[in-house]
Amino acid sequence: MIVAKRKPFNEIKDLVSGSKKILILGCGTCVAVCLAGGEKEVAVLASQLKMALALENRDVEIDKLTIERQCDREFIEEINSKVAVDDYDLILSTACGAGVQLSSDVFDHKVVVPALNTTFIGVAEGPGIWSERCRSCSDCVLAETGGICPVTICAKGLVNGPCGGTRKGKCEVDPEKECAWTLIYNRLEKLGRVDKMEQTLPPKRWNVQQHPAIIIHEAYRRRYE
Amino acid sequence: MAKSFEEALASGEFVVTSSIDPPKGTDLEGLLQLVQRQKDVVDAVGISDNHNAVMCMSPWAVCRVALEQGVEPIMHVACRDRNRLALQSDLLAVASLGIKNILCVSGDHVKFGDHVDAKPVHDIDSVHLLEAAKALAQGKDMAGNPLHGSPEFFLGATANPEADPIEPHLIKVDKKIKAGASFLVTHPVFNIENLKRFTEHTRQSNIKVLAGVRLLIPEEVPKYRDGSYPGLFVPEALLEQTEAADMEKCTEVAGNTVKEIKASNLCDGVYLTAPGHEDKIPDILKAGGI
Repeated sequence: MIVAKRKPFNEIKDLVSGSKKILILGCGTCVAVCLAGGEKEVAVLASQLKMALALENRDVEIDKLTIERQCDREFIEEINSKVAVDDYDLILSTACGAGVQLSSDVFDHKVVVPALNTTFIGVAEGPGIWSERCRSCSDCVLAETGGICPVTICAKGLVNGPCGGTRKGKCEVDPEKECAWTLIYNRLEKLGRVDKMEQTLPPKRWNVQQHPAIIIHEAYRRRYE
Repeated sequence: MAKSFEEALASGEFVVTSSIDPPKGTDLEGLLQLVQRQKDVVDAVGISDNHNAVMCMSPWAVCRVALEQGVEPIMHVACRDRNRLALQSDLLAVASLGIKNILCVSGDHVKFGDHVDAKPVHDIDSVHLLEAAKALAQGKDMAGNPLHGSPEFFLGATANPEADPIEPHLIKVDKKIKAGASFLVTHPVFNIENLKRFTEHTRQSNIKVLAGVRLLIPEEVPKYRDGSYPGLFVPEALLEQTEAADMEKCTEVAGNTVKEIKASNLCDGVYLTAPGHEDKIPDILKAGGI
């Protein structure tokens, strides 16, 4: 899932400055799971903004709406049947960066601004805690590294083993974090596959990670040709 | 004629090297004095590449100055600051300046330096850099394109005998050797038993090992304790001893480490570091009986 964090409140307040009628547009998928931009977080943000702007004697109308996903055009277009988008002079999106952009594409006559900072692709480690697991590098090495990604988890993204700073299995950059290569070594040892680590992995092929990337499923290719 | 660094290592004599950090700025006066002071006591001088991720003059310029002063440089090349194009073109450039000894390093993380918002590049790692340098020497770049004129390099890599756990680190060291490293420079060692364990492993490869020795000074003790020096693990007892020591005592302690390493016959030489106090290197060597 995509993990995001809400921007600092004052930054959000500056982003909406000058607007008279605002729609806070929530997203009910990843950012709802990571407690950053779902229905509840939209409600909290709306209340905070209303109070803060009222204290500054600013007359601003704030509405809120959360849709299933902002990374899917059909869900965004449904908004038109629920609210009059043209009445708003700003949409404050609590989606990830992808969702904000698609909302901006659909409503390209409206100012759409982000309320979140999109942070990483990760997993839920437990209630309220998420960790980064994938850099979406398009050149996955997990088969060689015991299912643990050095590109993501090693602070330097080293693909051939640890740097010299590992201490008690922790990363030199942040002693609170595990050294990726200690994790990989331990996992490979458990699997009886330490020999995997003895192979030199080639330099990453950055050309396979084209920006902006587009994937068309084979079954749909003819439709878009 | 004096032996080159490569010849000295091949001869089996105990090789003495040291390290100098390039200046932050264009004033080379202090650097020239340091080079002159070390000229007659070391076999080669390592020149760091934005050491600890602190922005300084590029090491190739300093290496060239050292060569002109009659001192053989070992140029550090860090993967942190350049992608594969820049690294390879720099390697060709330094070869044209007569710089032959290259120490391939990953580079300390930018977090430890003075440009903490910089993007750490790490397009390739130190194993790849060794492979790339070896390929250049064989007339090809990383993409397999032929070169018009190829460089000559004597390639080295770094290792930390005190990395914990050591097993994954040793696997990487083996990769570095396989990739083309002819010598290893270790992080400063503070526990000779760790060095012994390390060299028992490297002995199987016949690679030359220069053990790192670092001058410990009282002012830096808090930084060793809080982890500001990545990869340097100084035992608490030694830190306490350093806290109470004057410079003469600090020099003597470093000298004793040199003496201990030489007497142990574990390594082929030493690599001395004394950041900010490189002028003490001749004194350390004297205290070490060299």
